[in-house]
Amino acid sequence: MGIELKNVSKTFGRKKALDNVSLKIDDGEFVCFLGPSDAGKSVLLRVMAGLETLDEGRVYYDGEDVTDLTVRKRNIAMVYQDFINYPNLTVYENIASPLRVAKKYSKREIDKKVHEVAELLNINKILKQNPEEISGGQRQRTAIARAMVKGAKYIFLDEPLANLDYKLREEFRTQLKETFSNREGAFVYATADPIDAMALSSHTGYLYEGRLLQYGDIQEVYNYPRYSMVGKYFSNPTMNLIEGKLNRNDKTIDISGELKINVADVMDKLKKEDYIVGIRPKDIGFHEGENKVPIVGELSLSEIVGSETELHIDYQGNNIIVLEPEIVHYDYGTKIKIFVDTTRLFIFDKDDKTLVTKTGGD
Amino acid sequence: MAKLEFKDISHSYEYSFGTVKDRNKAKWVINDLNVTWEDGTANALLGPSGGGKTTMLNIISGLLRPTEGQVLIDGRDVTDLSPQQRKIAQVFQFPVAYDTMDVYNNLAFPLRNSGYGQAKIDKKVRETSDLLDLDEYLSEPAGSLNEGEKQRISLGRGIIRDDIVAMLLDEPLTLIDPKLKNGLRRLLMRIQRELKLTMIYVTHDQHEALTFAQYVSILNEGTVVQSGTATELYENPKEPFVGFFIGSPGMNFVDCNLKGGVLDCKGFELNISHKLQEKGVESEGDMKLGIRPESIAVSKEQQEKTHPFEIQVIENFGHYYILTVEGCNSRLKVQVSSEMDVSKGEEIYLSFPADKLILFKEKKRIL
Repeated sequence: MGIELKNVSKTFGRKKALDNVSLKIDDGEFVCFLGPSDAGKSVLLRVMAGLETLDEGRVYYDGEDVTDLTVRKRNIAMVYQDFINYPNLTVYENIASPLRVAKKYSKREIDKKVHEVAELLNINKILKQNPEEISGGQRQRTAIARAMVKGAKYIFLDEPLANLDYKLREEFRTQLKETFSNREGAFVYATADPIDAMALSSHTGYLYEGRLLQYGDIQEVYNYPRYSMVGKYFSNPTMNLIEGKLNRNDKTIDISGELKINVADVMDKLKKEDYIVGIRPKDIGFHEGENKVPIVGELSLSEIVGSETELHIDYQGNNIIVLEPEIVHYDYGTKIKIFVDTTRLFIFDKDDKTLVTKTGGD
Repeated sequence: MAKLEFKDISHSYEYSFGTVKDRNKAKWVINDLNVTWEDGTANALLGPSGGGKTTMLNIISGLLRPTEGQVLIDGRDVTDLSPQQRKIAQVFQFPVAYDTMDVYNNLAFPLRNSGYGQAKIDKKVRETSDLLDLDEYLSEPAGSLNEGEKQRISLGRGIIRDDIVAMLLDEPLTLIDPKLKNGLRRLLMRIQRELKLTMIYVTHDQHEALTFAQYVSILNEGTVVQSGTATELYENPKEPFVGFFIGSPGMNFVDCNLKGGVLDCKGFELNISHKLQEKGVESEGDMKLGIRPESIAVSKEQQEKTHPFEIQVIENFGHYYILTVEGCNSRLKVQVSSEMDVSKGEEIYLSFPADKLILFKEKKRIL
């Protein structure tokens, strides 16, 4: 049971918004589509929901072809960023409106359903207020309550957190995840923020210029990004990508002719000369150790994100991001010695950007 | 460059306009603020919207006259001076540049207005464009540049005059494309250091504030709750609000009662007599316990001094998970390494290291 897309394409003018996309979403999954702006995330959601016609391909709900079914006939709901349908009506009336429009629920049934969903989303205390009197986070929850109240099986959320400040995002993510785990069907969510995708979803897909570069279980995509773009994006903070040359004699990949990364255990997979080495910021640190190679660079920026510090270190023209799990302070221009864990590297082909292998096994 | 000061500044729009005549009945958006921004420092005003940030900024720049109190620049009272007379440069969310005018003339504009001679103008435009990496665009119309480059023009127009005393930045990166933000942020920080500008950066984004500024003032409901460096605010919040606002997710709070060295958290107890003694704290009674999600120790097995909690929500952040857990009459967030195997509904055991506990009594930190 679920949603299936087969070879879906959509063109706007000369631009391919979706390019031969096929995928399957099972009930019970929380799916995030991730990618830069304009990659086709919104179009994909709209196609699944029936808000957009297709040029090619078919869409199935529970095995049934719904490609030509209008949105009204599908059991779905859509949530946009900071979107309230009726700014002049109370929160209660906003949530109740889809039930009233359906004209088949009694006043008591409506009241019961509104209260149930409001309680689930923790907005039962603000039902009598108007949208302008409540916070951005509460408005967003109202929009979701409205989407859920009719019991829609599939809920599509298009960047619902984009306009919220980070404290509200934090709170809202937890709430959304908790809400989701208590219902049937699937949530399908589009975002440009990899943290949303990681925190919320069970499955993720990465879109790039209308193509679905990778789709699958979240842990699998994280562990095996099929392309360097996926690895870079699906990482918090972004994965460091550094070009290097294979040195067959030393069994190393050499970066800037100085840093030598031992790749002896994966030599059989490396047939070419030029590679891109992917290093997650968490795999670089201040501590020496076995299989760790030192780099000396200069601190160019130190960013404090949440409860962690991202240090940007300039090494031979490469900007290398190092993650420290607390708030630390260094002066700019400080020479810093860091150690790269060579057992956790991703090696991508320099030409087609595909993942060739990883060091250190699983 | 100069030092800026707020002396006993309060502001009420109603009272200033005279719509409310009774001082005690008026709504005060800013309450009795005393703040100093030292010469040549990078500062931030950080807080949720509605906290009074914009009002404060307008009082500094001179767009708004405070109902009470004084604004000082290098010790001189400027409360009654106009923004032009104060010589404070401002950068806003929207870049301010004339699209049809080339970059050179955009930068020269404030100097022409102040009657600088052509030779001097030319020299200043070249210096400023060099500093802001705008030199290659000097003959291009501003309209052909991207938002990040345009924001650099706004910045240039602000700093090009020799006589400015400080620079105010009102959420200058909020509307800039994420890909351009980093470059602009670095540029801002570099200029601040090179020119030794006194800068005040206003934002609701802790990432921006803590990254940019040496000193951050946390503003909430019209008062500065706490000022300090990023590390101070993170490690030593003086009020629960700071603990919540700084850090992601914020600090957990548990209502509790302290008696005889034992903290009764209405579901679990913590003996902290040793720590109280060490710090010389004698206070007892109702309190709020604060602990950060990353400071709680998590174990899969029950041990001495651990407390059982059930996992409600698991959020994956790549190298760590944030778990929302319930138990012992509390709901908490805890951080664990993603190498740990966890599942929803599972029982885990938490312990609270005494040296990481913070106690607040009536909103003020006592331990």
